[in-house]
Amino acid sequence: MSAESDMEYSDNDGDEYDYYGEVDDCDMDSVDQSKTDPEYFLFSCLRVEEVEKLLNESIELLSNSLQITPSLAKVILHAYEWNAQEIINKYKENPNEVLIFSRVKSCVPSTPGNSNGSHCAVCANTTLLQKFSALACGHYFCNDCWAMHFEVQIMQGVSNTIQCMAPECEVRAPEDFVLSHVTKPSVRDRYQQFMFKDHVKSHPQLRFCPGPNCQWLFRAWVREGARRVECQGCELLTCFSCGAPHHAPTDCITIRLWLTKCADDSETANYISANTKDCPKCQICIEKNGGCNHMQCGSCRHDFCWVCLGDWKCHGSEYYECSRYKEDPNLASDSQHAQAREALKKYLHYYERWENHARSLKLEEQTLACLKSRINQKVMAGEGTWIDWQYLWDSAKLLKRCRYTLQYTYPFAYYMDNGPRKELFEYQQAQLEAEIENLSWKVERAETTDRGDLENQMDIAEKRRTTLLKDFLDININNASSSKV
Amino acid sequence: MAATRRLQKELNDIRQSGLKSFRDIQVDESNILTWQGLIVPDNPPYNKGAFRIEINFPAEYPFKPPKISFKTKIYHPNIDEKGQVCLPIISAENWKPATKTDQVIQALVALVNDPEPEHPLRAELAEEYLKDRKKFSKNAEEFTKKHSEKRPSD
Repeated sequence: MSAESDMEYSDNDGDEYDYYGEVDDCDMDSVDQSKTDPEYFLFSCLRVEEVEKLLNESIELLSNSLQITPSLAKVILHAYEWNAQEIINKYKENPNEVLIFSRVKSCVPSTPGNSNGSHCAVCANTTLLQKFSALACGHYFCNDCWAMHFEVQIMQGVSNTIQCMAPECEVRAPEDFVLSHVTKPSVRDRYQQFMFKDHVKSHPQLRFCPGPNCQWLFRAWVREGARRVECQGCELLTCFSCGAPHHAPTDCITIRLWLTKCADDSETANYISANTKDCPKCQICIEKNGGCNHMQCGSCRHDFCWVCLGDWKCHGSEYYECSRYKEDPNLASDSQHAQAREALKKYLHYYERWENHARSLKLEEQTLACLKSRINQKVMAGEGTWIDWQYLWDSAKLLKRCRYTLQYTYPFAYYMDNGPRKELFEYQQAQLEAEIENLSWKVERAETTDRGDLENQMDIAEKRRTTLLKDFLDININNASSSKV
Repeated sequence: MAATRRLQKELNDIRQSGLKSFRDIQVDESNILTWQGLIVPDNPPYNKGAFRIEINFPAEYPFKPPKISFKTKIYHPNIDEKGQVCLPIISAENWKPATKTDQVIQALVALVNDPEPEHPLRAELAEEYLKDRKKFSKNAEEFTKKHSEKRPSD
């Protein structure tokens, strides 16, 4: 289960002591989570051994009820996406159909003795009859050739789907048959590893955590829509349905389009969104070193927005204009060239904001680390306990969560059709963005900001985030609207 | 080596069978892993000539598939300018160790005779083949006359 109780916080204003009550009462939080969190998704984080146990239970169940070897059960389960009950029911009706569908048996009647006696068609050698073997299809080949065939296939990464050596024969070699021919320990190990990976891939309830060198797996029961799963090991946020980084409110198809597009166009975009900008007032070159987009020029003290370089004063009002992309109304009559340019401009508008928030997230990671060491210093110096400073930590984590969602609102908006719904979305997005920047500003200056003020800001930002997700995350909207691509 | 014995047998079988569509098989004594031969198609517009191909067998043959390339230029939707050909029977995923080279050659000859514009290697030729068959045939015939080798007389 995602351990997010530490991110819950009091929604009253000012009364500090209630806060502790909430933190202690973990049960309350987890009960409420499904209602308060629009992204709530039931899943579990498993270790390899736990998944192996889970798979073995299915294998044992099937092999016991059908009276077949565990190796055959694996082939059949793989073909039927691990739905043991479906297999048992179908097997009762028509065992042959199940065996043919899972390619345990050949769909054409076997022609025994096609490799007449002791002649092997693969190596063109003649050897003792005892040294021959065949799968259920009855295509006999010598054991040396089988061993070589399996070795080559395994080294190419094939495991569950290794087939018979006869032309056009699709019968699959079960595990016990493969292992009885392969003797090299390194190849056997590889085979077992690939088998496990293949089993997980064919299992609709399982997914590997995509984190680099991460050994954890996710298990969940729904595989559509943007579904957030958080890894216990590497803390990576992943979408269980598609395996991409978690992307609410954007849906799986849209995020794939967007990520492909970004990969294709990254050079242009990289060039355009450089890491430094000039102060709009005094033109001094400024490097962004924090997550907050509310910039204050170190030289002339001018307050401005990093994204649009406009005066920050205009961003304070409820209409946070900077996240909204304005299409030129005179465009329709223009030439194709101008339209292409407009398309690039539109893409860059969204891409820059997407990329900027991604960078802010990384920078705020550093803020988070700094904060942790500062809290530790305070605690060591006897200035209160961890509990007293916990709110700082919570505020930084909440900021991260909000900005993450904000980042993924940009691909959503990019692919949205123009209309009142997009206007509503961009309005909410602008509100969220404004509150996040306020929060970021306050978090970076957390120790000098009033605690009540900071907690209030946390509450506002999270409310904006959940409101946006409730209204636009596909899994919450039954009558999906024009937001689809 | 398994490859040598098997290839020697296959070579003998093919030479004895007297295939009309694959002739003039040349194999260097010192290297049985490389064969050359002449594809002799029956269908127009390719029946005006013959096409030299090279078959390269990997050391792991027959557990890994052979590779085929055209040495003679050919105007064909499934064979590109470099002589590469896309033949499903010898793709790594489809390959079966018990598949014989003469089956591979027959599949190749069938592809030369009847192009498959659905999965082309040269999209522009596939389009011409589908949209303007007359023009395609004319171009292919001229190309064949200009570039292909002489057909064996018998």
